[in-house]
Amino acid sequence: MSLRGYIIRRVIYIVPVILGVTLMNFTLINISPGDPVIIRIGLIHCETEDCYNAAYNREAINMGLLDSNLYTVPWFKRYIDFVSDLLRLDFGTSWYYTRAGQGRPIAQIISEHAKYTIILNIVSFFASLLLATAIGVVSATRQNSFWDRSLTVAMLLGYAMPLFWLAKLIMLVSFYLFDFTGVAEGDAFTEPILLNGQFYKFLILPALALTIGGLVFMARLVRSQLLEILRQDYITTAKAKGLDSRSVIYKHAFRNGLLPIVTIIGSSLPGLLGGSVMIERVFGWPGLGTIFLNGALFRDYPLMMATNTIFPFLFLIARLLTDITYVFIDPRIKY
Amino acid sequence: MATIENIETDEFILDEKTLREIETMKGANQWSIVWRRIKKDKMGMLGLYIVTFLILMAFVSWILLQLDEWLTHAGLLYGDPNLISSLNNLYVELWIPGVSKSNPIVLFNHPTYQFADQVKLPPSFIHPFGTDANGQDMLSRVFFGATNSLALGFIGQMTTVIIGTVLGSIAGFYGGIIDDILQRVIELLYSMPQFILMIFIIVLFEDIQVPGGKYAVVVIFFALIGWGGTALIIRSNFFSLKEQDFVEAERALGASDMRIIFKHILPNSLAPLIIIVTLGIAGTIFLFAALAFFGFGDATIVSWGDDLNKWQDQLLEYPWMPMFPALFIFFTVLGFNLFGDSLRDALDPRLKD
Repeated sequence: MSLRGYIIRRVIYIVPVILGVTLMNFTLINISPGDPVIIRIGLIHCETEDCYNAAYNREAINMGLLDSNLYTVPWFKRYIDFVSDLLRLDFGTSWYYTRAGQGRPIAQIISEHAKYTIILNIVSFFASLLLATAIGVVSATRQNSFWDRSLTVAMLLGYAMPLFWLAKLIMLVSFYLFDFTGVAEGDAFTEPILLNGQFYKFLILPALALTIGGLVFMARLVRSQLLEILRQDYITTAKAKGLDSRSVIYKHAFRNGLLPIVTIIGSSLPGLLGGSVMIERVFGWPGLGTIFLNGALFRDYPLMMATNTIFPFLFLIARLLTDITYVFIDPRIKY
Repeated sequence: MATIENIETDEFILDEKTLREIETMKGANQWSIVWRRIKKDKMGMLGLYIVTFLILMAFVSWILLQLDEWLTHAGLLYGDPNLISSLNNLYVELWIPGVSKSNPIVLFNHPTYQFADQVKLPPSFIHPFGTDANGQDMLSRVFFGATNSLALGFIGQMTTVIIGTVLGSIAGFYGGIIDDILQRVIELLYSMPQFILMIFIIVLFEDIQVPGGKYAVVVIFFALIGWGGTALIIRSNFFSLKEQDFVEAERALGASDMRIIFKHILPNSLAPLIIIVTLGIAGTIFLFAALAFFGFGDATIVSWGDDLNKWQDQLLEYPWMPMFPALFIFFTVLGFNLFGDSLRDALDPRLKD
């Protein structure tokens, strides 16, 4: 099968998974205790019961829980409504993010904030990948040397450090050294952000924390993979041929170690995404993670539904990309 | 004249140490071999010491608290630890010879006891970890917080492993449509970051009334969504083991499915299970601490994560308040990781790097 056919098949495969995830989230919301309408109108003050009932009915119709004749809408009908809205990229309006008393459209909020998350994640992902490769190669080629031992211990300590606490410590150190905590402020995000020097200044600390978080995970992997491969016979052959150690490592050993590394990194992507939520919260970075946590703290159901559809979608796209890179890494793999 | 023995010793030069080792390994069962391997690994032993120390600390603090509660209920003690102005029933004193007996050093207090006049004190001789903004001794908070922090991680991990083992065994043994359904469900559960899914569920179910408070909800749902990894490993183990001859032989003898699963295949899958539990506890403790840190824990109980959440914004001004709970979370995760890695290498030397 051709590569194009494989990619099309994988893209189509995303659809049932996303449908399953939305169905799971939808069911969870439905079986959870508490009436969402009461949570929604919690702030409305009414003198009389009639006023309260009118507000309740208005909101319930608004939310699609009751139809215009005040009959309860069955759950599957609401789910079909949700999916048909999803196809039109309409996530409804937020309860927490409001402007002039009206909830803002969630699609708009997400399109404004998704780029911050994507920039932060891509920068730190590639930084950690590069650093992990460098550290892994240094450790594996000089096994049991001073550098290997100290790097291994540092990776172990970093692996045991809770990511959110690492972010806090980075903040503390930066505050004492540079009098700069890295907590995002308003002027950091004036458009266009890519030409804004302030933006890069505030990007440094969150990206550093997230890089270390991914680095400690990947470097151990690269080291153990390389060590296993350096013991193989064809490495000895390559050395015996008189190749210099640089080309032995990068042309013979590293390329063969890439496949298992990519596999494990691909399967650990949700963990990295979860880590980015923590980092965003600590540094007040206005990405999707902060949006999601605000929505969760203020019980903004439509917003949580939207972010819980976006996160698996991003993850599935990322996993698709890792699967496609297999073809370029390992020529034996044919689709 | 060269005898056969001489020729052999010429070819295989074994030093005395290796010979002695081979001698002791003879007839030893698997667990004593594993124990010998762990004992050789310095990092693994360090992890084991940390883990043992923390578990002992959790047990001692739990017993002290239970004893205090029991004595208060029995009417032998009159203080109520939940009242700020009340007597302080539980305390562990340290008396150094030569110092007056009337003013001993109090090592541990009841974790909710408040020193009204000793607020936000930096670490000192009397309060080695300082006091927090409520006037509570941080050393006592950390000491008594060990129970909840470790117990939650342990219970959470054990439940996921039990659910994962049962489902993975069924799917691996019977295969077919059960296996397909299980794989699709795992795919769904794992397409969401676990941290995000947990927050989503906690927010939805925070009003639910279950005995055990908020953390019971956390543990129940953690078990319901976290079993996928264990199930996949057990499933693949079953797939490779059920085709083996000893299973065929047992089946030919007329053994039931249950007997084959519980008496033959599961004991052979014990090594990966032990590794999952040890390494998983570290991850679970980290996840629960992260949930507490971001405000989805239960502020009414004493645990490291909730203390960390309470004082996280004081880091710049009063660094000792959040630092010590965080340090203990760090040591716990480190200990379990070190010990788990060493256990993995010892149980399955092929995986060793």
